[in-house]
Parts: sequence; C-alpha cells; structure tokens
Amino acid sequence: MKYLFLGSFAAMSLLSVVAWLWRPAVTDDGKIDLVWVSDDNPVRREQIELFNRLYPTYRLRLDPGQGTWEKVIVQCLAGVGPDLFDCYNGFQLMAYVRSGAALDVTEAWAERGMKLDEVWPCLTPLFADGDRIYGHPDNTHAPAVWYNKALFDAAGIPYPAPDWTWDDCIEIARKLTVRDARDRPVQFGLMMARLEWPAVFLAQWGGRMYTPEGTRCILDSPEGVAGLQFAMDLIHKYRVMPNWTEELAMATAGGWGMGPISMFGAGRGAMAIGGRWWLCMLRNKDYKGLRLGAVTLPKGPYDRVFGGGRSTLVNANSKHIEGALCFLEYMHGEYWNQLINHQADALGPVIKYHYGEYEAEFLHNPEHPEEDYNATWRTALEKAEITEVSPYVNGQAVDRVMLQETDKAWANLKSARETLTDVTGKVNREIVEVLRRDPVLRSRYYQDLARGARPAWDREEDAP
Amino acid sequence: MNTKRLTTITALCFLMPNFLGFCIFTLGPVLFSLGASFTNWNLMKTVPLLWVWLDNYVKLFQQPEFWLYFVNTGYLMLGMPIAIAGSLLFAVLLSQKLRGVVVYRTLFYLPSFTSGVALLILWKALYNPTYGPINLFLERLSDSLGVAGFQAPEWLASTKNLLSLGYERVELVAGQFGLGARDAIIIMGIWTAVGGGNMLLYLAGISNIPSDLYEAADIDGAGTWTKFRHVTWPQLAPTTFFIVIMSFIGGLQGGFEQARVMTLGGPAGTTTTLSYYIYTKAFEEFQIGYASSIAWVLFLLVFGVTMLNWRFGSRYVNY
Repeated sequence: MKYLFLGSFAAMSLLSVVAWLWRPAVTDDGKIDLVWVSDDNPVRREQIELFNRLYPTYRLRLDPGQGTWEKVIVQCLAGVGPDLFDCYNGFQLMAYVRSGAALDVTEAWAERGMKLDEVWPCLTPLFADGDRIYGHPDNTHAPAVWYNKALFDAAGIPYPAPDWTWDDCIEIARKLTVRDARDRPVQFGLMMARLEWPAVFLAQWGGRMYTPEGTRCILDSPEGVAGLQFAMDLIHKYRVMPNWTEELAMATAGGWGMGPISMFGAGRGAMAIGGRWWLCMLRNKDYKGLRLGAVTLPKGPYDRVFGGGRSTLVNANSKHIEGALCFLEYMHGEYWNQLINHQADALGPVIKYHYGEYEAEFLHNPEHPEEDYNATWRTALEKAEITEVSPYVNGQAVDRVMLQETDKAWANLKSARETLTDVTGKVNREIVEVLRRDPVLRSRYYQDLARGARPAWDREEDAP
Repeated sequence: MNTKRLTTITALCFLMPNFLGFCIFTLGPVLFSLGASFTNWNLMKTVPLLWVWLDNYVKLFQQPEFWLYFVNTGYLMLGMPIAIAGSLLFAVLLSQKLRGVVVYRTLFYLPSFTSGVALLILWKALYNPTYGPINLFLERLSDSLGVAGFQAPEWLASTKNLLSLGYERVELVAGQFGLGARDAIIIMGIWTAVGGGNMLLYLAGISNIPSDLYEAADIDGAGTWTKFRHVTWPQLAPTTFFIVIMSFIGGLQGGFEQARVMTLGGPAGTTTTLSYYIYTKAFEEFQIGYASSIAWVLFLLVFGVTMLNWRFGSRYVNY
C-alpha cells in the first residue's frame, strides 16, 4: 500500500510540474483588464471583441453569471467585484444602488453627451432612479407573437394579421393545438413563459402592479384579476396554452435559453409570446428550416404592453472606473446598437438606430433576408410602458410571493381573484415591514403620502 | 524548560494551524451569525444597523410560512427510516461471499460519488410528468393491466402528498392526498442514500462483528433471520445509532440542492425547506439578520433532536 501512496504522490508532483510549465504566460501588454458579469449568451463574444477593438487600451472579458446578482453585490462590497455587471429589472437596480455596489454615473453621461431621452423609455427603471443614472441599457424588448409558418401552412390557416384580436388568436390556437389519444399535448396553439403574464395580460387588461408612487400594491384590482383570469382561461378553459404540468414538462434543465424557445423551435408550438431575442437561439443550426413570422400581440381591452431589457452598471468599487465608463459610452454608440440589431439580441437601446438612415439596415438584415418581421418588434416597443416597480419593497421578495401564489392559479387550485388578493396582501405587508426597518425609505414614503399617495395599509394601527 | 512543558508547547504548535483555521472560518462566523440574528442587518447602506434583540425570532414564529417550511423539512425526513433500512439490507447482502461483490459495492455506491446537481437534473427529467420515463412506464403498465382512468402522478408539479398536508398553512386538506413534489424528492433521496455512506458504515460494522458469535449461533441451531435478529442487529447498534443521529442532522439541514435545482422551492412553496428559506432570505432578499435567526432556530432544533437521540437512543446501544 505504501508504494501505491508513494507512487500517487510522485505522479501528482510530476503532473504539478507539468501544469506549472504549461501555465499561460502573463501578458504584459500594458492593457487594462475589465471584467463584465453578464449571461453566457453566445452573442456576448462578438460584443466584447468589438469593444476590445474599439478601445485597445482595455481588455474586456466575460464572467458568465446570469442571475447571480446577490453574489455580485457581496463581491462588490468586499472589494473583489467585477468592473461591470448586468441588471435585469428595477428591483435589482435598487438593490445594487442601496447596497452601494452601483456607481452614480449621471455626470459621466453628461460629460459624454449622452441623454436619457435618446434611449427607449421603457428601459429607464433598469439603470436610473429619479434623476440619477447608474449605468446604461444593453438592449430592449417588448413582447409580440412568434408563429411557425410551416404549421400554419400545413393546417391551411392564414398567418395572423396585425389587427387581430384575442378571439381570433384563440380560434387559431384551438385549430393548431394537437393532443394524442391520452390527451397529452403534441403541439400547442400558443406558448408563453408563465412569469411573463403581467407584461401581456396585466398590461392589456389595464391592471397595475403598484400605485404610481409605488406606495401600495394594487394587483388585485378588477382589471388585474381580469387579466390573470384570461391567462388562466387560455390554459384551463380554451386549453391552447400549456398548463402547469405541461410547462414543467417542457422546461429545459438550465443554461442560456428557455424551455418555451426550444420547444417552439422544435415545432411543438404554433405560436409563442416572446421577444426578438429568441432569434439568438432560433438562428442556431439546430433550428435550420424553421420558417418564422412575427406579429404584434392580439388587441386586448387596452393597447398596452410592458417592455423590458437589460442594463449594465458600474461597480462603485471598481479599480478601472474610466474603462467601465468607456463601455457605457460604447453601448450608447452606433457600433454597439448596430451590432445588437444585427445579432438580434433584442433591439439596441438607443432609439435613433432604428429609424432614418439606420432603418433600412435594421429592417432588412442581408445575412438573414428571411427575417422580414423586424418592424413588428419596433412597433411593439413603441407602445411599451415601463414595467412597474416599487422603491418600497424588495423585488426578490415580491417575485417569491408572486411565484408561490400564482403557482396556485396556474394549477387551478385558486381563482384569479383569490390569488391576486393573497399576492397583494402579502406584498403590502412586505412594504410595511420594509418601512419598519428602513428609516430613510420610511421618511420618503411619508412624503409621498403627504402628496396624496395611497398607503400600503388599510387600518391606521397597521402603519409602520 | 522541562520536557513536559516542551511537549505541551510542541503539541500546541501542531494544533495551532488547525485551531486558528477553526476560529477564523468556523467559530468566528458562527458567533457572528448569532450576533447578526439580533440585528436588522440587510446589507443596505441606507438602513442603519440596529439591535432589534428578539424581534427577528418573534417575527419568525409568527410567520405561517415558517411553520409550513418547518413541516416540509420534517416531511422530507420521512424517507429516512426506509433509507437506513435499505442501507442495512444492501450491506448485509454485500457482506456475503458473492462473486463480483466489489463490482456490486461500487455500483451501489455510484450515486454517492456522482455529481449531486447532475443527479438532480437527471431525476427532474425522470419525473417529467408528460414525457418522463417513470410516467410513461406507469402508463404502459396501467394499459397492460387494463386499469381504466389511470392518472399518473404529476410529481414535481404537484402540491399533493401522502399525508394530505395543505399548501397554504399547516393543515390537512382532503383533496391533497396523492403523490407530489415532496414525495418525489423523498423517493429520490432514498435512491441516493441506500447505497451511500450509510451502507459503507454498515459494511464496516458487519465486518467487525466477531465470527465466533455466528459460530456459536450456528451451534445453537439459529437460522439466518435469528442470527440477524440476535447477533447482527444488536452488534450494529452503535453504527445504527451514529447513522440515525447523522441522518437527523442531515435531514433537518437538507432540501437545499433539491429546491434550488429542481423546484425553486415550489410548487406553491411545498418543497421549500428551512435551509432553502435561509438562503432566500439571506441571499435573495438580503435580510441577513432575519436569516441568521432562522439559522439559529435550525441549529437549536438540530441540537435538541441530537440531545434527545443521545438521551433515549443510546439506551438501545449495548456494545
């Protein structure tokens, strides 16, 4: 046995020497290294290479970490954070700002001649709070409907027209939903990631998440309930969208990309509510031959939709703030916006690169002449409203409540009204809890109340 | 300096690196978390750090969701006796003089040295309610047996469970009887545990039982079951005692990986355990103080259960 141990030790020592000899040489080319925490979307490489070419002083590299914003905050506060990191919603922005991880870049924007009204308005909550700016948006999107032309052609159904209604959509989706002898879905008429219901149904039915100041959750309004009810009807009454179990069945194991995209790409769905960014996956050779069309959402009671996107913020403790600011400048410019539009990583964040002299290139990508629907995504974005957030509640807590409670609606365990009453009650109680803990927010909250905003509580004794 | 003193100093020098590491990386954070549990610390610079003393604990016990997650944690431990019994059965079988026994031992131990996340993703695919092999098999079986109207379980998508526990609060709800996410996790846990470390401990325990006890039993005419009942089982009592204690500790702290990888704590929070609750509160909602209080309640729970085990379980350990 001792020879075995000695042999193993000798082998490992030898391998260590070999590894040491093969270690990559430290490049001392005078470049400043920048680290960007973003998702591992394959298009990220080209975006980084372009920056490195345009700004040769810096060498940007990706630290893939989608959804690891908690870790980023801890790293930033500990002084070992990345120089740049992504932010996916207003909740995260507030966490970054209030933890001191995000740098205020308002002055840097002004110095570089960048203006807020040059970017799509629905992106503002991702990188700005009040009159302060903390980063720059990367891309933007608003939902529309993808459709699989082959499945429509096979069923002899005309493609949806831009002025269609939800009744039209249900009728088409019913014809295109196919089930086997066991009533298992083989093909769905319509698909959607469940968590996206507020962007479509809450918006189109006129509901709101919060009062304008964010002081009270009002998700349980009759409009909100009607929106959720309609989404539930698509699943349980019309049976054209996957139910809870069926969606789980379609979920992929993880990694970049989502279940509905791969299932839609595989021809298991005739239509899907999604974004232009789906093309990042659907252009892949795995989906070669897929003939796609896109049309704006069916008309609902209100002509509204919530838009979104992604932004990149600067670490307040970064040692290379100037380099990080160069990256923000890059994202505001022509090269980045054209690249995003070309890659179909949703749409570029700056409005002007979709119109005027840039319009022809945006609408007709010579490398992808079959993509004749780019105007659809721009139209969707033109009417997109800001996804509502409240500064008075932790977005993660809201997400957890929303996920946990709406599970019961999707599973038909609770009605839409019961579900949203529960969500609203819990979110409002969470607001009160936050105010109890945070005197700065409490003071700001009472200022809003003094200006006529509605409180999160109904009885005075529940006030924080 | 006398020899005794020199020996002591030498021993302390050898112990020091480990002791320092223990203080810095274990004891320090543990005491720090105890202190944090009495504060409102939430990582936000705008929130002044205040001592809130027992507020976090009071709030915790008033939260219905805490009790729901506590019950979830306990429910997931229901598979523990089956897992321990399975480990014992496998150990007894693998301690026989069989041809290729080493191969069998390796195969049974395979789940223990396979990547945990890979296993969880594999099981998630197996439990797929529509296309998963388990339900496809059950459906084929029901077809071949002619069972009319058979509905395969929805596994990870279902709030149902074998004790009819509700999904809103700690209560029994008639319509909740069935196989659901919690049961799916238990079944997977049993599969992982039967051939794992417990089986190795039992194998080691069995190999340490003096052969003359079996010889004496043979002379007395004892059969296989009698020998197991009156020789093997009592001789394995210290091993069983150790395994039970470790399983309780592991069970109370468990459920995090499954929730994180397979269910995100759902559906409707039914697979959220105390450890996953600590994670969401600390690292998603940044309520570090509150999360620390949950961690300390969990610690006290583990400590209490372990003490009870020592107090009452050790009665059955005679060797």
